[in-house]
Amino acid sequence: MTEQISTVAKYRRFSPWRVLALATNALVELARQKVFYVLLIFALILIGSSVLMARFAFQQEFQILKDVSLGAMSLFTSILAIVATARLIPQDLEDRTLYTILAKPVPRYEYILGKLFGALLLLAISIAVMAALFAAILYLREQSVLDQTWRQMRSGPPGQVDDALSTIRASGLNSDIFVGVTVIFLKASLLAALTLFISTFATTNIFTVVVMVVVYFIAHLQPVAREYWLQQAHAGWISRGFLALVALIFPDLQAFNLVDDIVAGVAIPMAIFTKTLLLGIFYIVIYTMAAIFVFYGKEL
Amino acid sequence: MTDLAVEVEGLTKIFSIPFRKQSITAVRDLNLRIETGEVYGLLGPNGSGKSTTLKIILGLVSPTSGRTEIFGQDSSQVATRQSVGFLPENPYFYKFLTGTETLRFFGKLCGLRGWDLKDRVQELLDLVGLTEARNQRLGTYSKGMLQRIGLAQALINEPALIVLDEPTAGVDPAGSHEIRNLIVDFKKRGVTVLLSSHLLEQVQEICDRIGILAKGKLVREGPLQELIAIEDRTELVLENASDKLMKDIEKLATKAKATVIERRRSTTTLERLFLKVTSDQNRND
Repeated sequence: MTEQISTVAKYRRFSPWRVLALATNALVELARQKVFYVLLIFALILIGSSVLMARFAFQQEFQILKDVSLGAMSLFTSILAIVATARLIPQDLEDRTLYTILAKPVPRYEYILGKLFGALLLLAISIAVMAALFAAILYLREQSVLDQTWRQMRSGPPGQVDDALSTIRASGLNSDIFVGVTVIFLKASLLAALTLFISTFATTNIFTVVVMVVVYFIAHLQPVAREYWLQQAHAGWISRGFLALVALIFPDLQAFNLVDDIVAGVAIPMAIFTKTLLLGIFYIVIYTMAAIFVFYGKEL
Repeated sequence: MTDLAVEVEGLTKIFSIPFRKQSITAVRDLNLRIETGEVYGLLGPNGSGKSTTLKIILGLVSPTSGRTEIFGQDSSQVATRQSVGFLPENPYFYKFLTGTETLRFFGKLCGLRGWDLKDRVQELLDLVGLTEARNQRLGTYSKGMLQRIGLAQALINEPALIVLDEPTAGVDPAGSHEIRNLIVDFKKRGVTVLLSSHLLEQVQEICDRIGILAKGKLVREGPLQELIAIEDRTELVLENASDKLMKDIEKLATKAKATVIERRRSTTTLERLFLKVTSDQNRND
């Protein structure tokens, strides 16, 4: 028997190659379903807003451009994370492709990881393209304003010119924008992991999407409710335990809202960024583990 | 290594219906032993538990009680699938992939890479006759082509056991005939085949042993010839027999107190007729 299996590698409990094969397949699946069209809409919004904003003073122009772009990026990636991930597992189950995959030497946790990484690859590519577009437009506008200002002030005192130019640079393209983009990716990844978890027990894509829309809104409101309840004098250990559970099920999405500060020009401290990063990774790991747990008990 | 490719012992599967105090027994106390190298047919009407049994053997569904082994190893272990190929009933693979991409994907899942993978994909496309359609997306494939690409993916890891769930469902007689030839070829190469079907004539042509399931229970099992033989009857097929010879035989039979029950001209099967006329037509075109 074993002589027949000549070209096939020996079975390994974990194979990054299998996960990679599943992830790239999920990415190809999503790409061929033309989900990247969302990038076109983003590009149109970006170009449209940059044309409209050109008539404002540069501080206002850059601020609105950042606000619109980062806001649209956050919204589009959140939608993409939910809609694209929701269909991955139910579709495989409906088409019975899942049987063929799991009848190969593929552990169920690798299947979940493959699907998640496929969705994360899609989000990473989308965000990278959106960020590159945004950075390019902001950079071009910044260079144009710098050029204009230098031409207007070149006869003035050198100190004054340098001050003006550095003010423009500070409100233009800076490293905080990349911090914002990273946090947007983290939030979208968290939503993808949570969507994947819900899709392991959901029967249809619609159910997963509807649940995720509800979760999305609750998750934005939950920190407010949590603060309110915890301020009550009678908040005992039952209330606290319940709130902790709610906080685990519904992620605190407000914690990922650093965009407003970035747009306002407030520098994001490293400690806050690291805390947000760890919180995001914590949620992603928890939801992925929950998805694997539910998927292992699933009758196919 | 054991000589048994598949061993099922005391297998029971009960599906409980959520929110109701009801349950469905899909398989009850099933015992099955499939020898290495044989073609075993699992027969039964719809809902008799064939697919559930196959899914349990493949580790896709967990049994309520009992055990299943593949080549002596607990079949719930993922490692056992290294030597198994599976073709599900009416397979729908990823429509967005081409034939080559589909086989490459499944090959990678089995640990194949590089030139080994490339060669194996080409070899299988040739074997199932899809070389010309290799760059077409599966969304454009006919049912028969899908079944053939399904067979190819089941063979990608050179399995020692192939499990086929209704392999010819929805396929035309010519496609069905090709699949049957492939199964015969697997047998020649020493591969064990476990197939489920309700197309009895086909099963009769290729299976060494069969098991008949009804309402989740194995009601009959054994070598095909033993099961279908009628103990007190014998058939004699003659070519160019004259009327006189036939009369003499009948007389002899009567003299020996045997009864001639039926005398008729030999016929071909409708399938053979269909294959002959369609292939003749193709040749003429």
